Amino acid sequence: MKLIQFASITKKIALAAFGLFLLLFLPVHLGINLCLLRDDGGEWYRNASHFMGTNYIVKVFEIVLLASVLLHICLAIYLTIENWLARPVRYKVRTKTKTPFMSRYMIWTGGIVACFLVLHFINFYFVKLDLVEGKYSASIEQVDKLFQQKAMKLQQGELNEKEQAALMAQYQAISQISPEKMDKSQKNMVNLTKEEVIQYCGEDFKHVEPDFYTMSKDLFANKTYSLIYLVVFVVLGFHLYHAINSLAQTLGLSHRKYSPIIDWVSIFYAVLVPLGFAIIPLWFMFMN
Amino acid sequence: MDFTLKIWRQENRKAKGRFETYKISNISPDCSFLEMLDILNESLVDKLSHPICFDHDCREGICGMCGLYINGHPHGPDSAVTTCQLHMRKFSDGETITIEPWRAKPFPIIRDLIVDRTALDKIIQEGGYVSATTGGVPDGNAILISKHKADEAMDSASCIGCGACVAACKNASAMLFVSAKVSQLALLPQGKPEAAIRVQNMVAKMDDLGFGNCTNTYACEAECPKQIKRSNIARMNREFICAKVASEESTKR
Repeated sequence: MKLIQFASITKKIALAAFGLFLLLFLPVHLGINLCLLRDDGGEWYRNASHFMGTNYIVKVFEIVLLASVLLHICLAIYLTIENWLARPVRYKVRTKTKTPFMSRYMIWTGGIVACFLVLHFINFYFVKLDLVEGKYSASIEQVDKLFQQKAMKLQQGELNEKEQAALMAQYQAISQISPEKMDKSQKNMVNLTKEEVIQYCGEDFKHVEPDFYTMSKDLFANKTYSLIYLVVFVVLGFHLYHAINSLAQTLGLSHRKYSPIIDWVSIFYAVLVPLGFAIIPLWFMFMN
Repeated sequence: MDFTLKIWRQENRKAKGRFETYKISNISPDCSFLEMLDILNESLVDKLSHPICFDHDCREGICGMCGLYINGHPHGPDSAVTTCQLHMRKFSDGETITIEPWRAKPFPIIRDLIVDRTALDKIIQEGGYVSATTGGVPDGNAILISKHKADEAMDSASCIGCGACVAACKNASAMLFVSAKVSQLALLPQGKPEAAIRVQNMVAKMDDLGFGNCTNTYACEAECPKQIKRSNIARMNREFICAKVASEESTKR
């Protein structure tokens, strides 16, 4: 393997650099998630997901992010195997050396977070890629506007037979829509499958974005999911506890004056960021 | 004091090893750990059985020859001492003490508790030297060195190369050893001419020999009898990055 040609420190620096990108992304993700707590019917949250899903600069960073996640995981596994091979015969007495909290278990805490990431991808990212069926919503105002435009065209005789039939089918579907598919404000249709979106809103809505707001709220309504979510973020906190200071050490940033500051930043980050994420399921558990 | 000893016995590099249990009694609390093993060995010789082989030389904590993995600690439970400087008063009467050799792929067992630490010498050979000009004897104070740098270099140079860092590391990584050797020269002006190639060569050799990768768990620092600091590892990483990015010299492999 070509990877073997890289020096151990080079591999470590790469692992740290990918980790650094993930550390930078996490607060961004947290900021978007915290929009869920705003009582605005999901307006901020939907806007934020729309921005993250469509902005071209974000799309470039999406590739960087995915690559970082994959390479961080792959390199960590590779290095861990190398490390295991460096001691083929283990000690009989387990080490009693005191080491910083959780620093020995980075591969395991990371592994748990990676498992959750698979679940998270199935729940959200794969829905966006249309690999998994999600839930969709549509604004009545927007649908109505398009419907009116088409109706005008129908009156002027500009639609062919197929389009006329589609319009009639849409009209029938909407008139029979169940009240459960409308949100509280009566401004949006929610909880739709992709088929229903096309049925109710027409072919123009074929590429509608998934309604992550409803999907998130549904997931957090599930007690088991909320519990898994909480546990994973505690574990992520353990992982992050040894992240920033370890990163600084690997990149050679060690200084009598600044290293204690880095250690404090590391602790604050490891506590605040997972706490921010954990507030969300707790909010839905106790506030609703 | 009385002890039960569980000691790793292995005939040679290829033989299958095993733990043997020995009882030893009437040991003075002021006896050193190696003296206790000497007493055990005398009794073994008296019984015409083969004594336990272990490494030692100066017995005053400066040569780096001794090194036993005692009850889950390289050099035993005391801090900042080598095995020879460890005393039996650090153990409780009647305690069972398990003694193992250093375990690492680059440290094959020679016999019983003796391991071959040539790997560390090979790393030194890759860059643990400085160029010296021929001619007259240079003036000792011709090159000014700050007190802070001189102290740091001296601290790094206090590494005795015992290999406890490798033994303590969960990955059997030699980063603390190599970084101390890189640092002691990188900190001083005399070490600058070879600095860029030194760090690359020594790291390359360390990797070739099969030592593990550092995961910043700092077990090495906690167990080092000479209290070599983790900042040495950060310095080596820094030196390595600078050498890779800024220097045109690179390791020929």
